[in-house]
Amino acid sequence: MEAHNRDLYLYKRLNAQVLGVSMDDPVTNKHFAKSLDLQFPLISNVLPWMGMKYGAYSPTPPFRPDGTSNWFGRRTVIIDKNSIVRYIKDGSPENQEILMFLLKLEKEFRGKK
Amino acid sequence: MQRNMGIWRILGMMGVIGALLGLLGACATVEPKKPPAVVPTDRGTVMYLEKYEFKYPPEGWRMMRNVEGGDFELGFMKIEKGDFPTQTTFMYDEQPYGSSRDLEKRADYYCTKFLFNSGIEAKVTKREKVPVIGREAIILEMGGENPVQKEKAKSTIYLIKKGNRIVSFVCTQWRPLTGTFSQEPFDHFEAFVQGFKFLKKDFYEQLEEELTQAGL
Repeated sequence: MEAHNRDLYLYKRLNAQVLGVSMDDPVTNKHFAKSLDLQFPLISNVLPWMGMKYGAYSPTPPFRPDGTSNWFGRRTVIIDKNSIVRYIKDGSPENQEILMFLLKLEKEFRGKK
Repeated sequence: MQRNMGIWRILGMMGVIGALLGLLGACATVEPKKPPAVVPTDRGTVMYLEKYEFKYPPEGWRMMRNVEGGDFELGFMKIEKGDFPTQTTFMYDEQPYGSSRDLEKRADYYCTKFLFNSGIEAKVTKREKVPVIGREAIILEMGGENPVQKEKAKSTIYLIKKGNRIVSFVCTQWRPLTGTFSQEPFDHFEAFVQGFKFLKKDFYEQLEEELTQAGL
């Protein structure tokens, strides 16, 4: 999150918007954003439909103590201007790779215009 | 006669296998060798991955390298004589805590995160805005104790403006609560920082050039 925050001026030049998604409630997200001074929106998705849609939600263990499967994996998704998912990667975001990918997408988009 | 032919066949097969092994061996030697990461110069410094030039600390300091992403680019460590944790590390870090590109704001934030996870209650003992290696910079000196772990630490941090970003040099010395801090490792850190040269544009500088060229 902090790395994305650091690169926001570059995302802006690449006409990209960063959105963070978490299963935490809005108040928790607000405190989290404040603690890291995040300058991009965080979406509170307590019922993890976004996680399910983008494959970040795991229907298998680890489960919560009450048996519900309530767990988000860490996944980076890039959606292009035509709403098509163009990039998916699990684990810690690789910012340099993401920036280069966005540059490629922007050049591709400009070429089609 | 048949027995002799069997021996010749086995010897022939061994010859073929030997020739194949010889060819494979030759292939292995043809592969280009990677240049060493650290190359000494005739100026009493070293070049690291053709990206940086700096003064290598004396014998006893071990180099720490970032090989697969991580918090710092490169650094050095020395376990010193004394009870645990008597040691000093110093490093060059391209991604110091925080995200602001304003030096003062970045320093404010940095002080809230630095050594936080160690349980040290770090206090800022010096904060000064002065140029370092010809660039706008803030020097921070921080230190504190962890009475539970019976440890203390003392650090010098340089937050330096580099293009549109902020990079850092950090030296931290650890001692048991009863130990005494020593100046010598900080002197080696100073020599490392003051002689540090960027030999080529980093990823972000190159990307920004490319964005400008693309009209972005």
